[in-house]
Amino acid sequence: MTERPYSNGELLACYFASQIVNGDRVFVGANLPVPRAGNLLAHLTHGPDIKVSIGMVSTNLLHEPQLEPFKFSTDHRMSRWAEAIVIHNDIFDAPRKISDLFFVGGIQIDRFGNTNLIGLRREGGGLTLRGPGTLGTASMAYYAKRYYVYSPTHDPRVFVERCDYISVFGHGDGGDHRARLGLDRFNAGPAAVVTPLAILDFATPDHRMRIQSLHPGVELEDVQASTGFELAVPDELPLTPEPTSEQLRLLRERIDRDGLLRKA
Amino acid sequence: MTPRRSSVRLDEEAALDLVRDGMTVAIGGFNTAAHPMAIVRGLVRRGVRGLRVVGGTIAGLELDLLIGAGVADEVVTSSVTGEALASVGPFFRNAAEAGAVRVWESDEGILYAGLRAAGQGLPSLPWKAGVGSSLPELNPDLRPYEDPITGEQLLAVAAIEVDIAFIHLSRADVYGLGQHTGSGFGDRMLHRAAKRTVLTAEKIVPNEQIRARAIETSIPYADGVVAAPWGAHPFSSPGHYLVDEQHLAEYLAAANAARKGDDGPFDAYLQRYVLGPSSHVEYLEQIGIGRLLALEEWG
Repeated sequence: MTERPYSNGELLACYFASQIVNGDRVFVGANLPVPRAGNLLAHLTHGPDIKVSIGMVSTNLLHEPQLEPFKFSTDHRMSRWAEAIVIHNDIFDAPRKISDLFFVGGIQIDRFGNTNLIGLRREGGGLTLRGPGTLGTASMAYYAKRYYVYSPTHDPRVFVERCDYISVFGHGDGGDHRARLGLDRFNAGPAAVVTPLAILDFATPDHRMRIQSLHPGVELEDVQASTGFELAVPDELPLTPEPTSEQLRLLRERIDRDGLLRKA
Repeated sequence: MTPRRSSVRLDEEAALDLVRDGMTVAIGGFNTAAHPMAIVRGLVRRGVRGLRVVGGTIAGLELDLLIGAGVADEVVTSSVTGEALASVGPFFRNAAEAGAVRVWESDEGILYAGLRAAGQGLPSLPWKAGVGSSLPELNPDLRPYEDPITGEQLLAVAAIEVDIAFIHLSRADVYGLGQHTGSGFGDRMLHRAAKRTVLTAEKIVPNEQIRARAIETSIPYADGVVAAPWGAHPFSSPGHYLVDEQHLAEYLAAANAARKGDDGPFDAYLQRYVLGPSSHVEYLEQIGIGRLLALEEWG
């Protein structure tokens, strides 16, 4: 891979920022530096009216010079930013009021965009590896206007033909499976899958995973070799847009002073 | 004679006396914050067994300790995590992989539906997310069904009935009026689902102070109130102190050693911090005042 003046974390943060429109509600977690930075970058560049829920508070951060990162989502020091307090169970009384978009991870991600945070299946039942658990991902991904699958690693152990267990249903067995279950009320499945190698989507007739863009310096063969199933490939394969110097300045001076993205 | 209002103040032993083997006990707080640790350590010290433990919808390492110490048979939560310190609790991971603990596999919205059903005295409530997932295969309390009005496919989530909820918060008076600083996370739902609620509070305050800011009363009329300053340690307590990362690192090192088959460090941890001290105050003396004061929130 050729030398680039930005990290993968910065590239992906800029991609996420491009997906957010002014006025969106976004939920910023503590422990995912790339989606966090994407949300905040959108807020500072083109989203002055974005409603930011971060930790247990809702706020507008336009005039905060330093958006310091917090290690724990429960850190009470975020309360000094609060315009409103988020009572956690209230989120699930009206999930669409907290977030228009959401980010889902997985220890497995499959051809049809299903994701697994539960664990790896043992023959005859049970788990050989216990995963982190579903958290709020099933609910938030169902209610979001757009949700993204984000994986900080891209290899055949994560990108599998079929998830052992499904914590968030993407397109199930493909085709109209999502619609048949009535899961298409608020979104049509994962908007994209974002990895260190490429942006992928499901814009195929049967909703199988397809490459949407390659990150600069990545070859098609790298992505296919890192994926445990055959990817659909469009005729034209664009590059993921590179960060602008202004985006990099905002990231490095206001959002990510500690350089977590440069390590991501 | 003028009748006198009854205090519900309890000492920690009287609060622990309310728990019997096999009960469903809710442990409040969320992730790395606000767990009622004086009670959690007391349950371990007493050798309580067979509990079904309902955590926050994302529980922290307090549930991991209850699994490691043999107190919990089942955990009702979507995750047992140390967040940035450990994505999965070591004892939870081990027990879940070995089938030694039952896991009420769920998502946060599903879990709140079950608690809400209990609060409303209903057998179940519907939830949509989780349809098509593996959660109903793993959790028999989640049953797919068709909405009788529209035919839409939904999950019926069985009520999560709680015998007793323990909730740690900032301040309470002796009449059971509790106030969180900050959001209170999902503690209100545990209280609503529980037959009885016992608060542990950083500070016992006069009823007049509660009345002065009555809108902040997040848990009204708990059945018991225990004074527990520093009572969430080693976790954070909003408005009071931060996570003691050094202590949690010591816990995680011991739990990870046990996961690899060496019980020595965890036995030593239990002896030093849980079984050795006979009360919450003795625990705090073991931690030391210098260490506690260093967890200052706004320093």
